[in-house]
Amino acid sequence: MSEFVSKVDKEARSRAAETLKKNFLTLLDQLNRGEPLVMEIPKRTLANTVYDEKRKLLLLGEEKMKRSFLDMNEARRFMQTVLMGSIIYDALVNDEYPTIRDLYYRGKHSIILRDPKGKTHEENTWDEQKESDSVIIDIEVFTSLLREEMLILSKEKGKVVGDMRLRSGNDIIDLSKMGHGAYSIEPTPDLIDFVEVNADYVLVVEKDAVFQQLHRAGFWRKYKCILITSAGQPDRATRRFLRRLNEELKLPVYILTDADPYGWYIYSVFRIGSISLSYESERLATPDAKFLGVSMGDIFGTPKKKAYLSERERSSFIIKAKETDIKRALEIKNYSWFKTKSWEEEINMFLQKKAKLEIEAMASKGLKFLAFQYIPEKIQTKDFIG
Amino acid sequence: MSAKEKFTSISPAEFFKRNPELAGFSNPARAMYQALRELVENALDATDVHEILPSIKVVIERTSQEKEIYRLTVEDNGIGIPPHVVPDAFGRVLYSSKYVLRQTRGMYGLGVKAAVLYSQMYQDKPIEITTAPVNSKRIYSFKLKIDVTKNEPIIYERGSVNNDTGYHGTSVSMYILGDWMRAKSRVYEYIKRTYIITPYAEFYFKDPEGNVTLYPRLTNKMPTPPKEVKPHPYGVDIELLKNMISRQKEDTTVKDFLVKEFQSVGEKTALSVIEMAGLDPEKKVQKLTDDQLSKLVDAMKNFPDFRPPSPEALSTIGADLIELGLKQTFNPEYVGAVTRRPKAYQGHPFIVEVGLAYGGDIQPSEEPTVLRYANKIPLIYDEKSDVVWKVVEEIDWKRYGIEDEQLPLVVMVHLCSTKVPYKSAGKESIADVEEIEKEIRNGIMEASRSLKTFMTEKRKEEEARKRLLTYLKYIPELARSLSIFVTDGKKELAPKVQEEIQNKMIDLVVTKLNIKDKDLELFKSYRVETL
Repeated sequence: MSEFVSKVDKEARSRAAETLKKNFLTLLDQLNRGEPLVMEIPKRTLANTVYDEKRKLLLLGEEKMKRSFLDMNEARRFMQTVLMGSIIYDALVNDEYPTIRDLYYRGKHSIILRDPKGKTHEENTWDEQKESDSVIIDIEVFTSLLREEMLILSKEKGKVVGDMRLRSGNDIIDLSKMGHGAYSIEPTPDLIDFVEVNADYVLVVEKDAVFQQLHRAGFWRKYKCILITSAGQPDRATRRFLRRLNEELKLPVYILTDADPYGWYIYSVFRIGSISLSYESERLATPDAKFLGVSMGDIFGTPKKKAYLSERERSSFIIKAKETDIKRALEIKNYSWFKTKSWEEEINMFLQKKAKLEIEAMASKGLKFLAFQYIPEKIQTKDFIG
Repeated sequence: MSAKEKFTSISPAEFFKRNPELAGFSNPARAMYQALRELVENALDATDVHEILPSIKVVIERTSQEKEIYRLTVEDNGIGIPPHVVPDAFGRVLYSSKYVLRQTRGMYGLGVKAAVLYSQMYQDKPIEITTAPVNSKRIYSFKLKIDVTKNEPIIYERGSVNNDTGYHGTSVSMYILGDWMRAKSRVYEYIKRTYIITPYAEFYFKDPEGNVTLYPRLTNKMPTPPKEVKPHPYGVDIELLKNMISRQKEDTTVKDFLVKEFQSVGEKTALSVIEMAGLDPEKKVQKLTDDQLSKLVDAMKNFPDFRPPSPEALSTIGADLIELGLKQTFNPEYVGAVTRRPKAYQGHPFIVEVGLAYGGDIQPSEEPTVLRYANKIPLIYDEKSDVVWKVVEEIDWKRYGIEDEQLPLVVMVHLCSTKVPYKSAGKESIADVEEIEKEIRNGIMEASRSLKTFMTEKRKEEEARKRLLTYLKYIPELARSLSIFVTDGKKELAPKVQEEIQNKMIDLVVTKLNIKDKDLELFKSYRVETL
């Protein structure tokens, strides 16, 4: 099998294995010195999440926790972390590509304690996948290796088309020759080589259906762009892939979502990082990404511009905001990275109108309108929020 | 061995036939329990007070199918009763060998007679007594009843046989209307609790269903028997004084009477007391008027300089025997007992003893199990109105390290005194007397301090053990996982590396956690397997 495995894959593998080994062997050093076994792991709490103004990223703070085996309350988690580390390491050196579910099953077994009277006490190494998933995150933070770097696979969700060629494994893929389909962004985007790219910018659409419509309409060919969909909340691979396009190829990134707080949050995850997983932002976030729309101004117009929708269209397309939408909007308004003039205007208009809109509504006005008027016009006039 | 007792007739009465509830005979169930209790207590008084290791046999049989009539028999190996006093001892109310100042179980001289009276209220058969005093050549038997109007025994049969075997002791059988189903649990509880504080006794019990329970003797060590003492002046009332004076010689003076008949009274003290009463010390004591007697009693009660009453008359059980009894009955994790120093109330000496048992087989419940004893008799009824309960209820057990929601705790309190302040003649609960209440509280607190030390130690050990087992559980898993980083897929190396790591980890845990050798043994006796 090994001759079919690509070189980048092999290199990534040995890099990750070395790092894992190095980190976990420090525990053995401690043991040989007769010191208590302690792992220092940055804290993954909201309180230890810092918004880096300059780099415009959500990052983990300085706070570290010491996970000590000799601390009764930590002993189980300590054991789980080392167990998971060893399973991942074993998979790496054996040329395997486990998913997080595989890892869960590989590590799950019972430890049976039998007392002198023959009475047994049984305990599982972990019970639910939630537990082992959480340990994987600890290992990512402990070793500074993302799961993608450790060749742990997850379900592919993001898709991409455009005039570009890339190398994945031993194959060159031409993303302009995908027919009506698209290339699924692989769970290990760091192993992709960009071979040739002919594009001016990247457009990310939240909705898979809108992505397909734009693709069939030949949008990316006409406007020389790379078209991506996250199909809802973006996964890590899509975010990393986008980040690489932006960072390595210097392509501007525009994001198109529904006009509601949920859409804003998707934009925020692409741009800043997610709150619960801020440790990965450094490698996954795209701080330059622009929010293209759909904005409240597009729906209702502003003193400076005319609305894209007529009165009649508005009344049939607009959905009334629910209680939860309002609550979410107020939360988002409090995030420091939304505290800019344009975002405050956007959010305030939403709170005032209490209205939301799906991108599909723009497409119902006519695919041609969406593809050849709305999107290009907004990009050209720089009508976006940064 | 003082095999001879003094017998005195002190007062007639048929009062108790009319008011049986006052002596505890309020209904068939209670009466059954009460009759048994009176007989068992007499049996014990006839043995341990005279330094005989008690062997007591109790048999209850149902004799009638139509009515619930039971034959109750209690047999002891005690000092026996001289044959000439048997009729009065069982057939004349308020006739007692016990009207002296010394701690005994029975006191009023009416218990067993009340049982006899109750017996003849509902059926016809007389009571049957077989007895042989120590060294008696013959064994005597009687069948008798009480003539209620005359307060006199009626003898139905009497006889005697040769005593070839050197037997001594007494067996009493009586027929009573009872209610076994209702009395059952109390009767068993009574025997169990009696056994707890007399672990030097053996009991045989056969119930009406034919079940036989044996309570073996646990030790040959007996508590020191109480001595007879003279009354203390503080504890005297006019009736007692009159009774004592009636037994004096005609020419005894007031001064001689005080010096001779009371403890803590010498020549000088006697003169001071008499002066306080405003009497002539040389006056013949039998010539005192009621008014003068009253003044004398007042002076005796209020004289400030008496020495405290002598505790010699008291017989404690002792911490050893209490612990032994509690241990045997409850199989607890912890047992501890204290015997307090003697104290006095109103001229009566008393001593409080407290035993605590915790954990093990003790059934946990919201409130501790309270075992009350007075002069070695268990008190079963009226628990909540007893001063012991009042004190126990106020104790905050958390302060003594007992955190359990449900307490696996037994609190045993024994009060011994020449006069136990019962709330009623049924002798089931102790009245709130300030000095006694305080002493019970101090006793429980003293015993609880040792319990606390035990609990603290136990908690520490439990924590250490819990930690140890946690590490024990995880170390093999951890060693195996770490060995994977070391061996790099060379599977043949794994077992050796794993074992090395494992041993180092155990060393680490043992040194860092200060594991004691004892726990290390435990540690090694566990096995860890992986499935």
